[in-house]
Amino acid sequence: MKTVTRSHTPRRVRTFGLRTRILSTFGLGSLALSTFLALSTYNFTRSNLVEERESSAIVKAQQDADRLRNDLESNPTSVQSAIERLGAERPLVYFRGTWTGDDARFSSTAIPTSMLDAVLDRREPSVMRTEVDGELVVLIGIPLTSVDGAYFEFPTIDDVRSTLNSVGLALIFAAGITTLIGIVLGAIAASRAVRPLVAASQAAQAIAGGRLDTRLEESNDPDLSALTASFNEMAAALESRVERDTRFTSDVSHELRSPLQTLKASVEVMQARRDEMPERAQAALDLLVADVARFQGLVEDLLEISRFDAGAIKLVIEELLVGEFVRQAVSISSAAETPVRIAENAHDLVIKGDRRRLARVIANLIDNGRSYGGGDMIVSVFAPDDEEPPTQVWITVDDHGPGVAPSERELIFERFARGGVAGRRSGSEGAGLGLALVSEHVRLHRGRVWVDDRPDGLEGARFVIELPAERA
Amino acid sequence: MGTRILAVEDDERIRTAVKLALEDEGWIVDEAASGEEAVVLFLREPADVVLIDIMLPGIDGFELCRTIRRSSDVPIVMVTARADTHDVVAGLEAGADDYLTKPFAPKELSARIRALLRRARPAHPAHPKLVFGDLEIIPDEGKVVRAGTEIHLTKTEFRLLCELAQNPGRVFSREQLLDHVWGYGYFGDGRLVDVHVRRLRTKVEVDPANPRHVVTVRGLGYRLQA
Repeated sequence: MKTVTRSHTPRRVRTFGLRTRILSTFGLGSLALSTFLALSTYNFTRSNLVEERESSAIVKAQQDADRLRNDLESNPTSVQSAIERLGAERPLVYFRGTWTGDDARFSSTAIPTSMLDAVLDRREPSVMRTEVDGELVVLIGIPLTSVDGAYFEFPTIDDVRSTLNSVGLALIFAAGITTLIGIVLGAIAASRAVRPLVAASQAAQAIAGGRLDTRLEESNDPDLSALTASFNEMAAALESRVERDTRFTSDVSHELRSPLQTLKASVEVMQARRDEMPERAQAALDLLVADVARFQGLVEDLLEISRFDAGAIKLVIEELLVGEFVRQAVSISSAAETPVRIAENAHDLVIKGDRRRLARVIANLIDNGRSYGGGDMIVSVFAPDDEEPPTQVWITVDDHGPGVAPSERELIFERFARGGVAGRRSGSEGAGLGLALVSEHVRLHRGRVWVDDRPDGLEGARFVIELPAERA
Repeated sequence: MGTRILAVEDDERIRTAVKLALEDEGWIVDEAASGEEAVVLFLREPADVVLIDIMLPGIDGFELCRTIRRSSDVPIVMVTARADTHDVVAGLEAGADDYLTKPFAPKELSARIRALLRRARPAHPAHPKLVFGDLEIIPDEGKVVRAGTEIHLTKTEFRLLCELAQNPGRVFSREQLLDHVWGYGYFGDGRLVDVHVRRLRTKVEVDPANPRHVVTVRGLGYRLQA
């Protein structure tokens, strides 16, 4: 097995899968085997059949030749009647320079010269298989030395041919069936072989999806137990590592709360005396105030993210009238004066969600628009299509910033991904976790979030939250 | 004399900074570094509001809450590390009236304290005495009597009961109660209402598990009936 350390494109090289390979091995193997068996069976049958017929034909021809010789020795004049008396199958007699037979097809012209030479000149008995007039025959030539002649016989073995044809057909059919059975067995074997892999891949997917306690079932199969054991070891190591990281993040943000509390209270005391301060101290205080707030946001975001990672988020689900909810959420955000437009078709839409977490989502989008977008924002709530009753609601936040380049539209929802556009964007207030939290929260609410261009053609970005909704 | 706040917090720097900020808001602040110290201080000179950090060495915040509650109905605000843990519910059940998560803004704490110290009784009670079966509420005197016996409610519990009693039979949603009793807006924590209703029931109901007076209306809120 190849070890892939990191692969961005899962299906980079197109190779045949394990399943296909096992299947084709079984299929081709059974095809080759059955073809081999069929061919050898055919040849064996053929030679057996033909030889048996041949030898019995030779024995008969020999007997016929003996009887004919005796007949001709006693009565050399009547060849024709001797042949008739013989009653043999397709006889042909050479006697005293003339050929006598009972079938015009089987005359001397049907006999190859090599055989004529052997039988007539060298006086040797001879046998050969030949085709006469499209019919397979055994041509047997026996010299009749004592009467200075020769006897030929053309017994047909054409029926062997048709028998062989049937046998061949049957064998092809059998080979086909065997191959099919091979393929079926291959498919079964392939799916059995792949099953643990499918289980492993499902487990890996489950782990990737956050269910870190997923393990493979222990297997008795010695070939698989190694895979199972190392997979489970890996999963356990991963789980404990993620837990450690999560606990660390959570501990860190907890520990940061105490100094933050001191900072917050102290800053408030100083703010109350801002007017008594020299101008430069005022400027420094303003920076301090802003960054204590930013620090607190970051710590809270970190804690929330660590809760996500630990799978410890428990949503408090309520039915929320979406328009009212968004209005309220905007009113406690950092840009409370942002106008909220609620479309006619969304007035009585209800979503099921965690009030405070969803408010955080909207607050984060507004923070993002304020930091990066620039200019006034507009928040809209509407049902995106004409479906009746609506099944979804869109909450959009439009800003007047430079927009988000298409290549960065997914990246900006990653943690601490401030994007390559940070330089172009004014300010650096983004905590870097806000949009990641938005994405996690929306996902927990079975919704989607994405960023697009403003649909009205003006410069700016539109962040869209899509949530399942229904009429109240 | 001004309002005294007893701030119980083991981290000295936090304690000092919060004291400074609260004094700016016009409160008189007593400090205690531990639960034990707080108990002694409170017995010597009861405060008007107690602020308790749940994570205390020795007697923890929950225990301190219960100890104070045994002798006083003083408003208690607790400070928790996180809002989504069981700490909040446990603290409220131990007797706290409200909670804040660390780090909180002292201004926010002041607003919470002011809400808790508001006059407990309704501004214009319809009747000097409200009767619900065996339950009698005398708003002007801050008194509740059940079957002839006076029962002790904390200020917040009393205000919650009066709020429900103002419109007998009407269903109050959690948001309305949060707004009217605690001064929270749309995003208040509904658990405040739920736990206080639970606490109220243990005092005004004969059988708190089967409440007759403070009734839950599923999906809507709570209602007071005779």
